[in-house]
Amino acid sequence: MAALYDAIVIGAGHNGLVAAAYLARAGKRVLVLERRDRVGGAAVTEEPYPGFKFSVFSYVVSLLRPEVIRDLELPRHGLEILPLESTLTPLAEGNYLATWSDHDKTRQELYRHSPRDAEAYDEYGRLMLQMAMAVRPILGMVPPDPAGLSPRDLLGLLKLGRHFRGLGPDRFHALYKLMTMSSADYLEEWFETEVLKATKAASGIIGTFLGPRSPGTAYVLLHHYMGEIDGAFRAWGFARGGTGAISEAIASAAREFGAEIRLEAPVARVLVKNGRARSVVLANGDELRARVVISGLDPRRTFIGLLEEGTLPEEFTDAIRRFKFRGSSGKVNLALSELPSFTCLPGVGPHLRGAISISPSVEYLERAYDDAKYGAYSRRPYMDVVIPSMIDPGMAPPGRHVMSIFVQYAPYQLTGGWTDARRESFGDAVIDTLAQYAPNLPRAILHRQVITPADIERITGLSEGNIFQGELSLHQLFFLRPAPAWSRYRTPVRGLYQCGAGTHPGGGIMGASGRLAAGAVLADGV
Amino acid sequence: MYDAIVIGGGPNGLVAASYLAGTGRRVLVLERGAGDEDVRPDAGWVPAPVVKDLALERFGWTHPAADPWLTIPLPVGGTLELRRDVAASAQAIRVVSPGDAARWPEFCARMARLARFLEGLYLSPPPDPTGGSLSDLLVLGGVAARARGLGREGMTDLLRTFPMSVGELLDDWFETDALKGALAAIAVRGMTQGPRSGGTAFGLLHHHVGSPPGVFDAGSGGVRSALLAVAQDRGVMVRGGAEVARILTTGDRARGVALASGEAIEGRVVLSSADPDHTFQKLVDQDLLSPEFRRAVANIKFRGSRALISLVLASRPPFDLLCVTPSLEYLERAYDDAKYATVSARPMLEVRYGGATRGGGHRVTAYAQYAPYKLRAGAWGDAERNALADFAVEALAAHAPTLAGAVLQRAVLAPPDLEAALGLTEGHLYHGELTLDQILFMRPVPGWARYRTPVLGLYLCGAGAHPGGGIMGAAGYNAARVVLGDPLEGG
Repeated sequence: MAALYDAIVIGAGHNGLVAAAYLARAGKRVLVLERRDRVGGAAVTEEPYPGFKFSVFSYVVSLLRPEVIRDLELPRHGLEILPLESTLTPLAEGNYLATWSDHDKTRQELYRHSPRDAEAYDEYGRLMLQMAMAVRPILGMVPPDPAGLSPRDLLGLLKLGRHFRGLGPDRFHALYKLMTMSSADYLEEWFETEVLKATKAASGIIGTFLGPRSPGTAYVLLHHYMGEIDGAFRAWGFARGGTGAISEAIASAAREFGAEIRLEAPVARVLVKNGRARSVVLANGDELRARVVISGLDPRRTFIGLLEEGTLPEEFTDAIRRFKFRGSSGKVNLALSELPSFTCLPGVGPHLRGAISISPSVEYLERAYDDAKYGAYSRRPYMDVVIPSMIDPGMAPPGRHVMSIFVQYAPYQLTGGWTDARRESFGDAVIDTLAQYAPNLPRAILHRQVITPADIERITGLSEGNIFQGELSLHQLFFLRPAPAWSRYRTPVRGLYQCGAGTHPGGGIMGASGRLAAGAVLADGV
Repeated sequence: MYDAIVIGGGPNGLVAASYLAGTGRRVLVLERGAGDEDVRPDAGWVPAPVVKDLALERFGWTHPAADPWLTIPLPVGGTLELRRDVAASAQAIRVVSPGDAARWPEFCARMARLARFLEGLYLSPPPDPTGGSLSDLLVLGGVAARARGLGREGMTDLLRTFPMSVGELLDDWFETDALKGALAAIAVRGMTQGPRSGGTAFGLLHHHVGSPPGVFDAGSGGVRSALLAVAQDRGVMVRGGAEVARILTTGDRARGVALASGEAIEGRVVLSSADPDHTFQKLVDQDLLSPEFRRAVANIKFRGSRALISLVLASRPPFDLLCVTPSLEYLERAYDDAKYATVSARPMLEVRYGGATRGGGHRVTAYAQYAPYKLRAGAWGDAERNALADFAVEALAAHAPTLAGAVLQRAVLAPPDLEAALGLTEGHLYHGELTLDQILFMRPVPGWARYRTPVLGLYLCGAGAHPGGGIMGAAGYNAARVVLGDPLEGG
């Protein structure tokens, strides 16, 4: 039997790498095991066509915790975030809505649609900033156990109570509304311009299997607003070299601290003896021993996939089975011979350096959801489009471009199941919809990569292709994520920890789960 | 000069009036309808303290416990009858699904535990999470202690269930479409939300409050007439045909009301059981309300979603409550229509037996949902109304063949009709949606959830205030106690 590690981390996704880096930084002997031939999980850059680099899955970053960037010195390891400067929502009739990092320019543009909304926009921005500030401490906090009896739990609950009461009535009520309302209703209270409401509401549906009119989506809106804390658009951006560069930077930091990362080493089982995780067994049969095992996989993969049946209390297994994944999004990556020209703003312009949102109205988004609800992909989907090569020319050969299209809804449970033919017709629906706004797009396509939730699951291992390792619905957040009483990175198996986005505070390239999990391991005196 | 004027003679108004009159105050209730014009079935939980304090049973209130309390048509023909006895219901469910039958008792026990928790919150003003006074903190501490007293499983249920969609909740437990459809229909009663909308599981608990485990409907039993008798016995003056046009004020204090006829009536305090939109937008001088408050009132979601179909039948229907909602998907598709402002092509139906008429017929009220207040096509017309009535009559005949051809009379009130006839804003039966953002300390608007209003001496006592609609008298009960304990009221 081989050497004993202090910690084995399963999965070199960004959270696994962050956990490994923090543990190695604390002097622990750490091994990271990755199934694929590269680090990153869903945060990878690949070059499926020579010269064209795709951020295959996750494509923008905003939520990466500043303390992680600082503690791991990620800029020194090559992390560079390039800002997204605008959001353009083209409309069918040639009109559009654009918001810019330049405040005055945005105001002018909003004024064109509605003077009232232009006024409300600043107030809205201020309130959302306050709300993000109110929630920010929660993101870096280990959730207390609401039913726990230990002094630490009680103290944690009291602190939490004090935090919320400390907001004062106005902000508390506003936050409560964000936690409980639909994004459409919430925005309806602020704005009258349909396209503005829809474009804002769209960030409330990302990664969820809910429509913009369903309560619970306003929270997701806030979750995505968190990244904008430091100013309008500064924090929403690309990593130079694609999303994979973030993973590479974290991996580099981890290695420098002494962590070992082994690729193409899929884990088959976590072995438990006397209620304690002792080792992991690789698919090739090798057994590797460690004092603790930390899983960066999602809760279903970890608890149903890696453990012998009967290891866990039935109640816990039930809770994990009930944990909702319901992947709802797909991705289309394009290699382009020329830039798309939008009917509403023809030719090349600064708008191509930002996000392009296909969200003309709330009803459009809601109807896209209706398709998915009954097992079809949206015939007219919501899309978030970016052209990374406009900001980072290294992503494509000179004069060529890459386009990343995030698409919703594409349900994991497609009626009849996902097949090659259905994947391509889904891709056709995406291109066809986009071509209504940018007619030259179809002829500019050199290569097309279409990714369905089934593909996301197959390639990255994310259950049902859910990009957040489980839906960010209210009953799956904070002390309920992933299961009641087990929201604190520990599990019913001693020595087995979780560090993925299936734990608090959830998905997005944030690194918070990895950092908090490492903290839990260290606190337990490993 | 009255000590208190109560606007609206519905259950909440009458309960508030009776409690105030019970302390020797001179109370006037003003009701815009002339006779018993409220055709809504007075179905809903009557809180035990109200029954006891007002001795409702002495005034003719009978509460026949319907058994079976719910009849669900099955797609294969026949019906599934849910009984008051959990084991008897499980027995009935076993025929369609042994697995569901096995899970039914635990589901009932766990939902009942949550409903009891809610019941505790419903018979007092809602806790104020941001309140700074010692009593606020004590109340909050009490609620937290009660939540923790539920135990780990109960507390987890509490935290998980409230924000869930009722569809997810039922999918976790059951496989029978008809059972899930019917329970989900109860949860989204009166709401413009579908069974897949977040927060709708709360609706099931709301309608469960006050009933025994396994019974998710409080039934009906003529509480309105009993409450009227109580009020009159206590010396409350009840005036019909008296529509209030304005609340009169001196400075920022209410001093009475003006009727539509022009008559002014003085009162030391005014309690409104009209909904908050009606009260604050129509009856109160806008200058007395801050812009923030007016904005909050304008933001209350009403969105009436039900049409009321009143039928008189020649024979008694073979059920007390019939729910025609074959599946969650059926209900969700019905909701899809409403999302785009059209009447559901295939609505859910909730049909309640309302007793014998004097003429020997049998009264039945059917709610058809979803029937949006605002239609994309324009105003409600007879075509829409008739289509709903036809649908209801056909569904009745399909599910209770003895009723085919038994319909003697029919009438339909769409949401705009309910607004016109009963003053319900957008025809919303519960005086505003019972979504998570509009309950407890958020009802009717944040910061004003304790029956007081920005106008001194004006109180809310209707379903637009905590704990909301579908409950007979809880808001009136809570409001009366606030008024009596309020030093502003002047004693």
